[in-house]
Amino acid sequence: MAYVATRGGERAIAQAERLYREGLGPVDRDRVTVIARSLPWLVDRVMGEASLYEPELAALALAQTGGDLYEAVLLLRAWRTTQPRLAIAQPVTQDRLFTLRRISAAFKDIPGGQILGPTLDYSHRILATGVLEDQPLSSAPVQKADHPAPPHHPSLAAWQKAQGLVADPPREQVAPDAIPDLTREPLLFPAPRAHRLQSLARADSGGVLALGYSAMRGYGNAHPTVNELRLAEAELRVRHPRGTVFSAGRVKISQAEVAAKNGGTRIRLGFAATLGWNEVKVISAATLDLNAAGATKGAPTEEEFFLYHTEPVEASGFCIHFKLPHYVTFQSSLDAMRDAKARSAVTTETGPHARYPHTSGDAGGASAPATLPDSVEQIGETAE
Amino acid sequence: MTALGELTRPWQAMSYGFLDPSAKRELRRAMLKAVAVPGCQIPYASREVPMARGWGTGGLQVTLTLVNPGSVVKVIDQGADDSVNAVSIRQFVEKVTGARGTWDTQEATILQSRHRIPEEMLREDQILVLQVPNPEPLRPVQPNMSVARQMHADADYGRLWLVLYEQIVRSGRIMQGASYPAMVNGRHVMTPSPIPRWDLPKLNMSRHLTLLSAGREKRIFAVPPFTRVEPLAFADIPFRVEDHASLVCHRSGVTGFFMNEIPQTGGDSRHELSDSHFGIKAIRRAEGEAVEIGATWYRNGAMT
Repeated sequence: MAYVATRGGERAIAQAERLYREGLGPVDRDRVTVIARSLPWLVDRVMGEASLYEPELAALALAQTGGDLYEAVLLLRAWRTTQPRLAIAQPVTQDRLFTLRRISAAFKDIPGGQILGPTLDYSHRILATGVLEDQPLSSAPVQKADHPAPPHHPSLAAWQKAQGLVADPPREQVAPDAIPDLTREPLLFPAPRAHRLQSLARADSGGVLALGYSAMRGYGNAHPTVNELRLAEAELRVRHPRGTVFSAGRVKISQAEVAAKNGGTRIRLGFAATLGWNEVKVISAATLDLNAAGATKGAPTEEEFFLYHTEPVEASGFCIHFKLPHYVTFQSSLDAMRDAKARSAVTTETGPHARYPHTSGDAGGASAPATLPDSVEQIGETAE
Repeated sequence: MTALGELTRPWQAMSYGFLDPSAKRELRRAMLKAVAVPGCQIPYASREVPMARGWGTGGLQVTLTLVNPGSVVKVIDQGADDSVNAVSIRQFVEKVTGARGTWDTQEATILQSRHRIPEEMLREDQILVLQVPNPEPLRPVQPNMSVARQMHADADYGRLWLVLYEQIVRSGRIMQGASYPAMVNGRHVMTPSPIPRWDLPKLNMSRHLTLLSAGREKRIFAVPPFTRVEPLAFADIPFRVEDHASLVCHRSGVTGFFMNEIPQTGGDSRHELSDSHFGIKAIRRAEGEAVEIGATWYRNGAMT
């Protein structure tokens, strides 16, 4: 079977994966523990994009893939989709969050106060090269405030609503199992707001930053002012079959509300939230939400554009699929190209039928370059 | 008294066929709709599967929903059963369903394929699952999905004919290669996925069911048995398949089928059958083995 001997795909893929795993070395529980403990912000980012809150599994995914973020997110998404839905948690309102960081750029001070919380925002970004010379990086212990900040804070938008600065639409009453969920139903446009916010919550951090930044720079119609940014822990309140509502634990969440002050008598708000602490992502995503209303088709701020193009598993998967063989598709175009080229050569030689005048001085015209026009667009060739 | 353990099944790492029953139910509904409205793209949620998007996840979800332990599954990529990704998909299906894998088109009950339809004719008891990268034939003229959906509703396909017409004006012929758009059942224009034009007539009035599934784009569509599939063309400029009828496979000596062109260092090229297992069977038969080769769609390089 000479035909087969030249191929041997089964052995090749097994060995290729072994080679990759060999580079990573054995993955054990210790490695997972170290990742979970030492890289909480990375774990948070992965949990947000996977839309699965489980720090240990996220650390495992990072260990198993050697830190390839898209691979890690895919591992978690594929695991998540097989899990049963045991219960739907109670809605979380802002004033019930255990807030660890809360800032507003819209006002100098806000009801409940600005809470700086843990941040590198004002640190000097100097690489601690001393660590490599055995001087561990550690800082002096945190000095507690005289009066601890309250764990719960009202939302700034509540104050703005009371002032009539922000529209206050009535809260929609939706049964828990009727909340739109794009992991169980297709995303169609115009999308329900729940789908838009869910899709942004799962979005690729880099992707929403790129598109959000384009809106911030001027490709959007609204400049975002951070109305309120929060890093918090939300209590997961679940109803027991007996009827009691109990806490099943807490999850870290981040949320951003950005405000546009232009246009009319009211402030417009854009909102985004995600699992885990990821400030860049929620500010960018909220900016896209803010700019989506009335965006022109095909603009980066249009809902369909940014939701389709910031989906990390789809975008990364399609990007790497171009490594797959495409020789049938390629072959399918070759005969048409050769035929068109031959026709073009014939029309060039015969002169009168040539579509483009000869610019060469050659009276015979036979040596004129083939007049193939610009590349011809093909149907469906843009995405294979 | 009944113990709790007797009321439940033992814990398993995953459901049969990986997908959970609710995912399969949604897919079955979408498939039934797709069969009921041939060529119409039916949206579905599209679960993540343990494979990257764009690598056959749509086809895989359909296969995993159709498969049962008695199924025989063939997976090909560009016509080849042992292409690396085809191997990966077939191994996964075998692992999570217990179905048997095969290379033989005749033997398979489910055939999942990327970019080819086998040369041997499919029967009514076989299902062809085509992996689809882009389900939207209107994408090059209208990248916005919601606008394109409206155009399908209005059967507004003029711009597709315009693209073909422009190709004729600029190049003297239709330049469309694979993914040639086709009118299904006289109503919906579909992309047949990036199969070569050679394979498109195989879908017309065929005996088998074809399901086309795009996992990343979350759309499923179907060509039911005995359904008209007509390539878009003009009365005076008919549809043409690739000019492969006279090419000879340098391995098997077979002629009259779709070939891969293999560039040679001397500057010329050789050809080999793109349907790799069809080629293997031809070689075996030539070597004297009793190999059953099914009837082919093409005979002497022409569609029968």
